Amino acid sequence: MYDFGIKNPTSIDDVKAALGDAEDGQFLAGGQTLIPVLKQRLAMPSDLISLSRVDGLSGITAGGDSISIKAMTRHAEVAANADIKSAIPALAKLAGGIGDPHVRNRGTIGGSVANNDPAADYPAAVLGLGATVITNEREIDADNFFTGMFDTALNEGELITEISFPIPEAVGYIKFPNPATRYALVGVMVAKFGNTVRVAVTGAGPCVFRVPEMEQALTASFSPDSIKDGLVPADDLNNDIHASREYRAHLIGVLARRAVAEANG
Amino acid sequence: MATYVARNGIGENQRRVEDVRFLTGHGKYIDDVNIENQAYAMVLRSPEAHADIKSIDVSEAAALDGVLLIVTGDDWKSTGYDPIPTKSAVRTFIDGSDMKVPPHHALAIDRVRYVGQPVALVVAETQDICRDAMELIEVDYESLPSVTHQSEAIKEGAPQIWDIAPGNVCLDFELGDEEVQKKAFADADHVITLNMVNNRVTATPMEPRGAVADFDPETGKFTLWNSSQNIHANRDTIADVVLKIGKENLHHIAPDVGGGFGGKNGVYPEPILILHAAKELKRAVKWINDRSESFLSDTHGRDQVSKVQIALDNDGTFRGLRTESVGNLGAFCGTVGSFTPTGGSSRTQGGPFKFDGIYYTAIAPFTNTCPLDPYRGAGRPEGSYHIDRIIDYAAAQLGMDPIELRRKNLIPPEALPMKSPMGLDIDCGNFPEVFEETIRISDREGYAKRVEASEAKGMKRGFGVCMYLECTGGGPKEEAKVTFLDNGKVELSVGTASTGMGHETVHAQLLAGHLGLAMEDIVFRQSDTDATEIGGGHGGSRGLEVGGSAVTQTSRQIIEVGKKIAAHRFDVDADKVEFEDGRFHVPGTNHTMTIRDAIDSQNDPDNLPDDLEPGCMNISSVFERGIISIPNGGHACEVEVDPETGTIKVDGYWVVDDFGTIVNEMLASGQVMGGIAQGLGQALMEDIYYDESGQLVTGSLMDYALPRADDMPRMVIAYYEDAPTEKNLLGVKGAGEAGCVGAPPAIVNAVCDALKEYGVHHIDMPLTPEKVWKAIRDAKATG
Repeated sequence: MYDFGIKNPTSIDDVKAALGDAEDGQFLAGGQTLIPVLKQRLAMPSDLISLSRVDGLSGITAGGDSISIKAMTRHAEVAANADIKSAIPALAKLAGGIGDPHVRNRGTIGGSVANNDPAADYPAAVLGLGATVITNEREIDADNFFTGMFDTALNEGELITEISFPIPEAVGYIKFPNPATRYALVGVMVAKFGNTVRVAVTGAGPCVFRVPEMEQALTASFSPDSIKDGLVPADDLNNDIHASREYRAHLIGVLARRAVAEANG
Repeated sequence: MATYVARNGIGENQRRVEDVRFLTGHGKYIDDVNIENQAYAMVLRSPEAHADIKSIDVSEAAALDGVLLIVTGDDWKSTGYDPIPTKSAVRTFIDGSDMKVPPHHALAIDRVRYVGQPVALVVAETQDICRDAMELIEVDYESLPSVTHQSEAIKEGAPQIWDIAPGNVCLDFELGDEEVQKKAFADADHVITLNMVNNRVTATPMEPRGAVADFDPETGKFTLWNSSQNIHANRDTIADVVLKIGKENLHHIAPDVGGGFGGKNGVYPEPILILHAAKELKRAVKWINDRSESFLSDTHGRDQVSKVQIALDNDGTFRGLRTESVGNLGAFCGTVGSFTPTGGSSRTQGGPFKFDGIYYTAIAPFTNTCPLDPYRGAGRPEGSYHIDRIIDYAAAQLGMDPIELRRKNLIPPEALPMKSPMGLDIDCGNFPEVFEETIRISDREGYAKRVEASEAKGMKRGFGVCMYLECTGGGPKEEAKVTFLDNGKVELSVGTASTGMGHETVHAQLLAGHLGLAMEDIVFRQSDTDATEIGGGHGGSRGLEVGGSAVTQTSRQIIEVGKKIAAHRFDVDADKVEFEDGRFHVPGTNHTMTIRDAIDSQNDPDNLPDDLEPGCMNISSVFERGIISIPNGGHACEVEVDPETGTIKVDGYWVVDDFGTIVNEMLASGQVMGGIAQGLGQALMEDIYYDESGQLVTGSLMDYALPRADDMPRMVIAYYEDAPTEKNLLGVKGAGEAGCVGAPPAIVNAVCDALKEYGVHHIDMPLTPEKVWKAIRDAKATG
């Protein structure tokens, strides 16, 4: 690590002030990505602005047709939450499959979504469920939030405060874990809302994406058989030592079918 | 499972005495060793696979506040230190000429030859200052063409790594009678050929390597605490050969060591570098490798490509076996180095099966990769993989049953003792009985139902076996020293080295059992050149065979001296005294004396006969084993394969091992389970991968996949104990490596069995989901 300062604001206003005061400040949520990056000297922020003590940034609230998760809520809390388990079981399962117990007890939903790692699980849930990302400045639709590899619609200094997930009629999430990291080599979330179906894929490309061809097919008939092979071309997918792009393309079809089967119970 | 009768500690399931310390954070590992006013060292490593060092500018780094010393290759050259030698037991080419040994200096001099090679040592007040300084060192590299794969390295026109090694060949090798093998091939009905890869892996001990060096200018003596498995031999090499300071001036100690698996056997550059720095600075110097550096700089294992051919008759009788291997050495000869792919992989060729003739050849080339050295098994896993894969492959090609093929060809017990075609002295064992027991315990009756259940889920189930032959023993001599302390404690020092496998328990168990002492009174010392004169360390599954035998021998000598003390007290001849359960007694009398009483008497001359000196029960003895032991065993494995994704789940595992006498079943089973985990890792996921430019792609745990608890099946482990060896005092055959000898072929055989309906009969390790999926897809495409 290089030397850095640390600030512990307790309100959103203080967060903004702290960021403004810092020469090159960086938010610290659960630190499950940032701390390893710092340890490897791959980043050199002047100050870390810890969000752990900011009032009102943690907790889960269930409403009639949506569930709202505050940004600093840990993965383990999402995995164990009774409302989420009953209303959006695939979301609880997704959170319970992130990393290991250490990661799940430190990592936060806001940190994960803001980081937008191409292999992270949460982006699949946010996009697949059509969630709304709420910041200290505005509300952003999931479809407009994830803009590229490690890139989002967040402005400089803009802070996610909570994420609101609409409750679907049926939902499934299947992840094929990278054997080394257990990040998603490919992860597919399928969610059905009345006549609308959303399919979101993480791990396979540079950024989480939807698959309109699958969504149309599933809207016509919400069954695994509706998903034909080859709906996602391999060309733009990730290609690395863990999986070729053609294998990832194949997995998307397999996992999507299994996610539909899971959604159908 | 055998019923144990505890005798002299043998057969007691003594629980591990070191675990409370380890599990409560009270272990003393290398980073727990801190010397007052110590400085910190880090190593600047080469980012290039092959390059000339045009210049190194350390001026900015040296000027940094807190930087104490920077050593470059030029500095190292001027010290006149010698290179690190290799101790390969095979040293000549087939034609009799000498193997090629390039100079392995602790720092690169003028040229780097692999990514991660030490280029400079930086010593500073803190590790962070070391890091800052390393960023300021400017090295001007001029890249050279590089080669990382051994098959490429021996091709004409490949980049040449050492002038002394034309064609990059360090050594070639043959064993067996080629004429006999060729005749067997000519006579046989079939010859089946399979090319196979034994993938490159790394040991990834939980504790990375590290060391602390200190120098006393008053006495000229050095102390080196080192996370090493081989304290005595490496002291001799470092002190006498490399630094030339005299081994009497180097006190070499390993504190608790968190895993080694062979990767901490060799002599590495870094401890040598910090000994030099400690002398220069007259300060203690600490160096700890981080995980990423470990991937770059811990010697790797395996990495052989082989062409294996088996000749057999229509009735399944094996006739001949021929294996041609090319084993990667990396950029230098490691400490054992070129022995592993040559002699090390040759001895167990053919396993426990009858052959008319076996012939093994190997070529060991240099490449622009980290040096390779022993990794758990070192050659025997390769040999076992050759024979147990070719049997299953041949069975598939010829429509035979792989279990029946093994059954038909196992060496029968009445043929023992025998000398194998590879020159191994197989003294005892019952291979058919061990094999049948393996099949018996593996729940074959329930298999059809499990297949049905798998099919119902769309899964493919397979069953595979292997019948391995091992050879163990490592360094042939070991010392065990017992000192009875005034406070009633008993110090037991042994020259073996536990890296977590439980010597502290089992050696104490043997001593306590022999002498009738309490376990809690025994204080165990190991891995310290002051504790024992000699020490063979850890390697070759030798802990019990040689170390345990030394403890037994010393115990027996103590008892003999005790008998003389008792005889003196009771005024009888020593041969009238017997010893049992911690008591000396004279049969037919009421004369008894406890071992404690004898110990308490040993320091007073009045209590001793004329031929004994005070302290006479404090005894050290050196045991020397005979020829290497031959453990053997059967592994059976069930897998479930998801044909849509290629994912493999190992769903059942059964082992019967003939390790001779089992001294402590819990410790033995711990070894077997750990070995299976490493074998499973190699078979399914572990892979050290260099790209074409020589960069290590799997340089962290983000890219190098290790098995986790949930990857492991339930394991049923049983022992065949009816054939103890006479090669050592305990009848043991060595348990440490067998698990990872048997697991890779058993697992791959099971996967190929699951995929046989697709016509998939071989996939090279590691069997990643993608490889399995592709194999199925390609097989379907070709019909």
